[in-house]
Amino acid sequence: MPSGALLFQSVILGLLLGGLYALLAAGLTLYFGIMRVVMIAHSAFLILAAYLAWWSHTELGIDPLLSMVVTVPLFFACGVLLQRLLLARLRAVTLTMMSVLLTFAIAVVIEGLLGYVFSGTQRRIQLGYGSASLELFGARIAVVKLIAFGLAAVALLSLYLVMKRTTFGWALRATIQHRDAARLVGIDTDRVAGFGFGLGLATAAIGGTALSLDTTIYPSLHWHWIGPLMAIIVVGGLGSVPGAAAAAMLLGLAQSLLQIELGTTWAQTVFYVALFLTLAVRPQGFFGGRLAQRF
Amino acid sequence: MTTRTTTNRTRWATAVGAILALALGACGGDEPEQASSDEPIVVGISLPLTGDFSEPGKGVQRGYEAWAKITNDKGGLLGRRIELKVLDDQSNADRVVADYEQLIGSDQVDIVVGPFSTRLVVPAARVAEEYGMLFVEPAGAAAEVFQQGFKNLFYAAPAVASDHYNHLAEHLLALPAGQKPTTVAYAAMDDPFAQGTAYGLKAKLEAAGVKTVVDEVYPPNTTDFSSIAAKIATSKADMVVGGSQYQDGVNLIVALQQLNYQPKLAAFSTAPTSPEFAAAIGNKTEGILSPTGYTQDAPYESNKEFVEKYTAQFGSPPEEDEANAYTTGQVVAAAITAAGCAEQGECQKKLVDWVRANKVETVVGPLSWDETGKPQGAHMIQQWVGGEIKIVLPADAKEADLVYPKPAW
Repeated sequence: MPSGALLFQSVILGLLLGGLYALLAAGLTLYFGIMRVVMIAHSAFLILAAYLAWWSHTELGIDPLLSMVVTVPLFFACGVLLQRLLLARLRAVTLTMMSVLLTFAIAVVIEGLLGYVFSGTQRRIQLGYGSASLELFGARIAVVKLIAFGLAAVALLSLYLVMKRTTFGWALRATIQHRDAARLVGIDTDRVAGFGFGLGLATAAIGGTALSLDTTIYPSLHWHWIGPLMAIIVVGGLGSVPGAAAAAMLLGLAQSLLQIELGTTWAQTVFYVALFLTLAVRPQGFFGGRLAQRF
Repeated sequence: MTTRTTTNRTRWATAVGAILALALGACGGDEPEQASSDEPIVVGISLPLTGDFSEPGKGVQRGYEAWAKITNDKGGLLGRRIELKVLDDQSNADRVVADYEQLIGSDQVDIVVGPFSTRLVVPAARVAEEYGMLFVEPAGAAAEVFQQGFKNLFYAAPAVASDHYNHLAEHLLALPAGQKPTTVAYAAMDDPFAQGTAYGLKAKLEAAGVKTVVDEVYPPNTTDFSSIAAKIATSKADMVVGGSQYQDGVNLIVALQQLNYQPKLAAFSTAPTSPEFAAAIGNKTEGILSPTGYTQDAPYESNKEFVEKYTAQFGSPPEEDEANAYTTGQVVAAAITAAGCAEQGECQKKLVDWVRANKVETVVGPLSWDETGKPQGAHMIQQWVGGEIKIVLPADAKEADLVYPKPAW
């Protein structure tokens, strides 16, 4: 039986990890909600943002957090262009399937370019506060992890406010709920879908920066992220941002606690076990997720 | 993808077959030529110059080149110059077999030496074995290399993975009862080499009654070490041992420091000896131990010459890969000098027998081997003291005393 201190420490680590998963899964579920696109390249963009943060820290000497001033708008623009120029051209009937192929190709291209430019060597940002930590009731919270969690929380909150409180957010949600009806009431759904895509990709920029603070990055790392993220959005209910966030926190916590008993290798399977159980028992997802019922 | 690989394989098989046929044909007619003294000794090597192992592969190549140059500058061996013939195996195990077939069969090289990494050493050694060639290799430290029953293979380094920590184990077990560490936490990468180092020490400490409180194995691409670190930190083990390569070692140490874990002793393989290590963990290196197969400061006679001439040739001092290749060269050179010959055929048997029976002075110290080609030594132990890494064990090579318990990091 693990000690209380270890359990408490693992809960904290799990929550910090879950926060990052939540932000990343939110972007992924958004694409699916908006246009039934399965965006395999989401985590590739995540690693790209992490590399840009690493590069700007190593080469330009600026704090990785500042790189977001450039990467967030850049990724937003990329997302809009990606949707308008590529995904919008896919035929509606085969959209979901073809989007897997298309975004798979994009992921491979990004991975290849990263390998070409930065080589396959593992990289890690060396921060002065990299090993600093705070104490909380006997447990330790690393400052970098706290910053990453804070970034994720702020980004998620902003996303929530945009979706709930702005006209654009209403239009976006209307597009997600019923595209034809949204068009009937005068919403330019193509434009909204483009911006929605940009928003999703901007979360990857923030997530990537948060990720780069405390982990090693290498070009093929995105394959390790896309599986768990896909599982999270299915468990949370495809298209539901709050569902994705809740499932992410829960599974992040579960992974962290399972590592105590099962070790690193087997704890990763929690995502896939959850995915299979969800598909078997409740295919529309456990939180929200009205969309999946139609598939 | 599968189809392409198959086609490639078929093509290679055909090529190898053709080469073999040609070689056999050539041998059938004539008596093998007698090597005259002005002909060079051709040393055949296949190295991973591209692909996964290209970085260490190029290091090994530089080591061989330095050996050839330094030996030739002194007049060569048996009055003959050394000439290297290097092929690129693209880090591919099929390719490495074809390469050595070509080197031995059609190029008729006089000597072959090994490539880099266990994965390539084993298939390459099998070819050398078939042709009865002496096979000294610079990089195949995993246990499986010595379980294949090779008779001509010798690993040119001080120790195999599981013996790296022998000096440390001896030192710790000789401490008085009150000071000995009583609990140890192990974390090792799921990799035969990295795991071998940690488990070698674990076996010795457990046999002496030192308790294992954490025993974690993680996959090679793990990037998040916080859970493993949490287990180690909450166990409050006296000592932590990491069976690490480079980046995972750095990540694990940072994660342990984030949890403010302060062990009495911390030992990690590979990572702490890297030149970028101190910067990578924010200079919080105090007291970290690491086994090392090679250091430029090692006090052995030929090492001073090697470091000096290598630096003159390449502009920077040699690292472990370069040194292991150089060591391989030294072993082969000693055998050639003693046996008085260097060509295929009868001579190879003489070379093998000589290496088996003798001790060779090299840049990593005196080396000798057991029946399986396993070297009979242990690695030196280095420790970070006051911002510098210094040899602390064994006693006859030390630059500083081992600091135990280690200061806080």
